[in-house]
Amino acid sequence: MDKHSPPTNPDAREPDLHEPDLHEPRPRNLLQRLYVAFESPGRRRALHLTILAILIVTPWISSQYTTVILTNALLYVVLCLGLNIVVGYAGLLDLGYAAFFAVGAYTVGILTQQFGVNFWAAIPFALMAAALAGVIIGGPTLRLRSDYLAIVTLGFGEIVRFTARNLEITGGASGLSHIPEPSLFGWHIDSSIDFYYVFVVLAVLAYLASQRLFDSRLGRAWLYVRHDEDAAEAMGINRVATKLAAYVIGAIFGAIGGIFFSVNLGAISPESFSFQQSVLILLAVVLGGMGKIPGVILGAFIVVLGPELLRDFGTLRLLIFAVLLLLIMLFRPSGIWPEKRS
Amino acid sequence: MGKFLKLIASAAVVNLAVGSLALAQDGPITLGVQVPTTGSEATYGKDMYNAMMLAADEINADGGLLNGRQIELVTGDTACDPQQSVNAASRLASQEVVGVVGGYCSGATQPTLKTYGDANIPFVIVAANSTQLIPANPGNAVMINSTGDDQAKTALDFFEGKGIEKLAIVNQGDAYSQDLANLTRDAWTGAGHTVSAFEYVNKGEQDFSALVNKIRGSGAEAVFWTAYYADGGLLIRQLRQRGFQGTIAVGDGSNSPELFNIAGQAAEGVFAFSNPTADFLPAAKQFTSDYQAKFDNAPGPYAPLAYDGLQLMAWAIDKAGSTDGDAIIKALNSADGQEWLAGPISFTPQHTLARSNFVVLEGQGGKWTRYEK
Amino acid sequence: MTWYDSFLQQLVDGLVLGSFYALVALGYTMVFGVIKLLNFAHGDFYMTGAFAGFGGLSLVSGFLGAGWLGIFVAMLLAMLAVGCLGVVIERVAYHPMLGAPRLSILITALAVSLVLQNAALALTGGQYTAFSTDLGFGGFNLGNLFLSYNQIVLVTIAALLMIALELFVSRTLYGRAMRAVSIDKDMCRMMGINVSAVIAVTFFIGSGLAAAAGTMAGAYYGSIWYFMGFLIGLKAFTAAVIGGIGSITGAMLGGLILGLLESFGTHIPFIGSEWKDVFTFSILILVLVFKPTGLLGKSEVERM
Repeated sequence: MDKHSPPTNPDAREPDLHEPDLHEPRPRNLLQRLYVAFESPGRRRALHLTILAILIVTPWISSQYTTVILTNALLYVVLCLGLNIVVGYAGLLDLGYAAFFAVGAYTVGILTQQFGVNFWAAIPFALMAAALAGVIIGGPTLRLRSDYLAIVTLGFGEIVRFTARNLEITGGASGLSHIPEPSLFGWHIDSSIDFYYVFVVLAVLAYLASQRLFDSRLGRAWLYVRHDEDAAEAMGINRVATKLAAYVIGAIFGAIGGIFFSVNLGAISPESFSFQQSVLILLAVVLGGMGKIPGVILGAFIVVLGPELLRDFGTLRLLIFAVLLLLIMLFRPSGIWPEKRS
Repeated sequence: MGKFLKLIASAAVVNLAVGSLALAQDGPITLGVQVPTTGSEATYGKDMYNAMMLAADEINADGGLLNGRQIELVTGDTACDPQQSVNAASRLASQEVVGVVGGYCSGATQPTLKTYGDANIPFVIVAANSTQLIPANPGNAVMINSTGDDQAKTALDFFEGKGIEKLAIVNQGDAYSQDLANLTRDAWTGAGHTVSAFEYVNKGEQDFSALVNKIRGSGAEAVFWTAYYADGGLLIRQLRQRGFQGTIAVGDGSNSPELFNIAGQAAEGVFAFSNPTADFLPAAKQFTSDYQAKFDNAPGPYAPLAYDGLQLMAWAIDKAGSTDGDAIIKALNSADGQEWLAGPISFTPQHTLARSNFVVLEGQGGKWTRYEK
Repeated sequence: MTWYDSFLQQLVDGLVLGSFYALVALGYTMVFGVIKLLNFAHGDFYMTGAFAGFGGLSLVSGFLGAGWLGIFVAMLLAMLAVGCLGVVIERVAYHPMLGAPRLSILITALAVSLVLQNAALALTGGQYTAFSTDLGFGGFNLGNLFLSYNQIVLVTIAALLMIALELFVSRTLYGRAMRAVSIDKDMCRMMGINVSAVIAVTFFIGSGLAAAAGTMAGAYYGSIWYFMGFLIGLKAFTAAVIGGIGSITGAMLGGLILGLLESFGTHIPFIGSEWKDVFTFSILILVLVFKPTGLLGKSEVERM
């Protein structure tokens, strides 16, 4: 592949002022050159505006199908950025992230559909429920190291799904249907384009929040805890509070995804919150590059658009997707767009 | 990486081109098939797709529809997941299909009703039969499978006829089998009888020994399995293996000849509630042998309904005389009790099958026979 | 049945189920021991093993019959085939990733799992395959306790495999090397141990055991399909962690405990069997919270 690339353009390697890294090899292929090119602040802003413009225009120039799968991809952007806080920033392996997604979706579903609560009034309750779930799951598990943590979170994820399946109030295996669509200042959000724009806003907010968290004091605390827990504690970082914060914030991201997921589909059922769902979100995060926001976003788009683009292959589409995944991981073991400072 | 990106990009171009392809007036008639072809339910989805392909081939061989236009099927894989099925449905809608036939998992079918409703695409729901679908139907869809209520009633009559007092009900924790189990339980206790065990198993769990012990310990005289044949076959085997002597009955999801392959000898004397299929109508016999010849395995529980669904859609297009959505929907709802493989079809004002056509079958000599009593 | 008979019956059934879990859990734990990988594709080795055993049985049933002898030979064939598959997959997919972040290898394992599952889906057309054998339903009653001959053969084979494994690990050179590698790979390399070969042997044995369990499950329960590895993979993983991942005795113990939990979990008074899995996972979480390394695991400090 390298032979086909033209010699590196010196311009494209504008020094990275934020994170100088002498060990980074000279960018050789197209992808590397592209992202090195866009890591200067000015270009980054231009890139952001371009992407935003593309996102705003897309539904007007493409089919409804494109709008629907992009909406789905944006939902995954929110979910993946949330899981990235837990896994990428704080270094806690979570195999049950769909539980938070479920808590958000079911809280809003139950409150709006069965108790007639206004959608916007239900949101704070959903967020509180998710934060509580974050504390419940995070609390007892903080002593555990990664692999044990993985299975405890997996266990919690399954418990949440089975509970949703078994209870009357969650509608059992059929789930909840006829969740009313929300209105905002007279704008009745119901077409696929309406929901698309809602998710554009959510994804942008999730992006900005992730960015701020990364640069914050808490973000640095996560970094220290992830690299060396004991040293971090010796430096005066409260290990338990720091990890718990990651869980709670991650849970809130997941719940926000779930809240709007439930009104977008209008119906939710336990099968949307299975172990496979948690795995898919984790897959996107690791595939894109843990801890690296643009990488995670890329990962989210790949796991949603990948199987869709392969639809013409019928039964084979997941097989092909899996082989492609395997190849990506083999050639880029740290993800497509890895975080450099770790 | 460059190559991978190119691949993705070219796939994207192909997709967009497909998405915006406008259909010529005299080109083929494209029908969408909405079934799971990946994931844990792919078994049933493939089976339904095969049956529809058989129907489409027959229609095309007979000269197609509307003056010789051929039917072309495009698949929308739902993977039995609500999100994926909405993606699939929007893709079918963007491909401007004339109609959609399919719908297997109720949970995954429900959110697609709105997608097709907004696009005014006629939709024949062939298998999904949760009562939840009825209020969600904007009017463009018809359901050709009897709903759970009808089956629960059939079960009640059957078990009462057998003089059973204590019934054990087992489901698989999915929308369909849980719905049927709940409805049967309510009907059974409502009639003053006892449900001695009401149990769940996970899909793909192979060992039911603890469950069988519990059922036997509960003193149940009969067991009703409300889910599908694959796990049902295993349960029947283990029930008989452990000496359960009582009556065993299974729901329509288990009405497959494959049940006999899995359960073997144990399936003898097992009862099934189902639409009358395969062996009871001359046309269906032909269907079974054609299916067997073409796909090298026996048609599954929803194959006849899937076949009927596609035939019904074709009939409606023919009757409407055009590919206009409104005209086809009107034609579908005017179905007048004509006989199809699985019985007569006409619809209630709620667009559900007008009359329950459940019958009781009995496993004898390795196949299903009609049970009359 | 009295509560005592019922208790005994649950115990026996739980042990039978548990020996399947234990065989699959062993592979998880061995692979984790040598390369610290949670091999999510392991359940799919079980599935592949069931299909290989099915193929093997149709090869040998002509002259050995489809009774336990034929099944046993088919099982050995399946172990060989899937063992080799395990080695190949380790070479192709996991070996190049050994220096990568732990989570990346985990995702690679997930990808391998998806590949195996969907390849089987494509090959079988998603059909359930009836695994027909000549095994009867026979058995005998001890009071009210029912034991089938098949259960006895199954548990015996499982026990023999586990004893053989235990002997291999504790008595042979390779077994010793395996234990050494799981403690310190770099040191082993310096000591002249062929670490790659040890990893290959580990994968061979781990996948082989899963294949043995797959073949026996197929023959015992009577049907196989492409998705059958998923649930048992999840459960064996749970069993391995309960026992203490990385510990071979722990995996056996964890498998048996999980089998018993599930067997008794169906019978908890006042709570329906729909809560069985919630019960199992709650026990799992409690075990880990109070004994974070599992029942027999050693505590160690590691990083993702």
